[in-house]
Amino acid sequence: MGVVERSTPFLDLSKLTKLKDVVFGCTGSNVQRITMTLQTAESINLEQITIRSPTAFRKQIVESSYQEWQDLDRLLLRFWTSRSVRPKIWFKDEKEGCDLKHLVPRLLPELSRRGVVDLVECS
Amino acid sequence: MPPPLPPEMLDLIVGFLHDEPGALKACCLTSKSWVHRTRQHLFAHLEFSLESHVKLWEEIFPDPSNSPARYTRSLSIRMSRVVTPVGGSVGGWIRTFSGVIRLHVDMRGYDGGGTEASLASLHGLSPTLKSLHLAYGSSVISSEIFGLVCSFPLLEDLALFAVCNNSKLDGWNIPSTSPKFTGCLDLRIINGIRPAVRQLLEMSSGLHFSKISVSCLEEDIESMMDLVSECSDTLESLSIYYYLPGAGFLPPFVVGQYLTAAFGCSRTQHTFS
Repeated sequence: MGVVERSTPFLDLSKLTKLKDVVFGCTGSNVQRITMTLQTAESINLEQITIRSPTAFRKQIVESSYQEWQDLDRLLLRFWTSRSVRPKIWFKDEKEGCDLKHLVPRLLPELSRRGVVDLVECS
Repeated sequence: MPPPLPPEMLDLIVGFLHDEPGALKACCLTSKSWVHRTRQHLFAHLEFSLESHVKLWEEIFPDPSNSPARYTRSLSIRMSRVVTPVGGSVGGWIRTFSGVIRLHVDMRGYDGGGTEASLASLHGLSPTLKSLHLAYGSSVISSEIFGLVCSFPLLEDLALFAVCNNSKLDGWNIPSTSPKFTGCLDLRIINGIRPAVRQLLEMSSGLHFSKISVSCLEEDIESMMDLVSECSDTLESLSIYYYLPGAGFLPPFVVGQYLTAAFGCSRTQHTFS
């Protein structure tokens, strides 16, 4: 797991023993917070992790958060291998900018390589 | 003459037409005995979005005892007429909807000329209300919002969408009873969720939400933690949407989602016109 800045405030999910489903709205700049929050998820009932991307990401944001995406990739892979939780990525197809659909193989390479991430286009 | 069909069969047949208002209206005119069973579907989901809708309703159904409002289960009011300046009064039309289970009120259009709004006319509107969605602006203060919320003892779902938050709590006393809060909580409040979460945490019966969806600022994390901890025994689904301070407004996708959740209806919803 990559080194994360502990100063970034994040949510502790460790007490949520019944948690089945967690959704994060991702703007591209809060990937680290998503990873840190997910690291605390201990519920054995967890069935679904969803990341929703509302708009295309700015290229600069993607470049600057590349390492954070790698951390998230490793964590999500761990959820898949240990608990069979298959992550779902919701994206909005954009003509301009970098939409998540085309970035996923680069940002989440291991999940993409193993084909264990679902991409869903939202209207 | 063949014997008439059992009433249960007629109910079933009419029930198949629940999303075909034209056919239901025709059935309603078939015989007096069909009026009740067709009105259950015709008036199940109502939306008032213009002043003229209310005026028309009051003209057609001046007598509350004959009003089909009692058939309404889902009521959506997207106008400011339901709210009044503090101390004012509103017509009794709204009070006839006493069987509503889902209530959606959009008060963002209210302009009291600097006077704060009163929601007293909605208090305890339906004793069986389970779902309350409120969209409001700065003229509706927090004590009005939570006074209204606490007037529904069986409330399970709560959605608050504030385009401009006014966290004043004038005259607010923590009520001795509070709703069940066992369903979904949806908070999308400009300037942060902290005041609303503080009010919710003061509810005497505690919070037992199974689903929470929140749009929050970075500084709201602590409030989110408190909220999540309070519901730790019951929470099954959590959605978090962060947005940046100074963005001026919630991201469009958040607003869109809220409006779909609050005012979109999977079943046919009839606008009264």
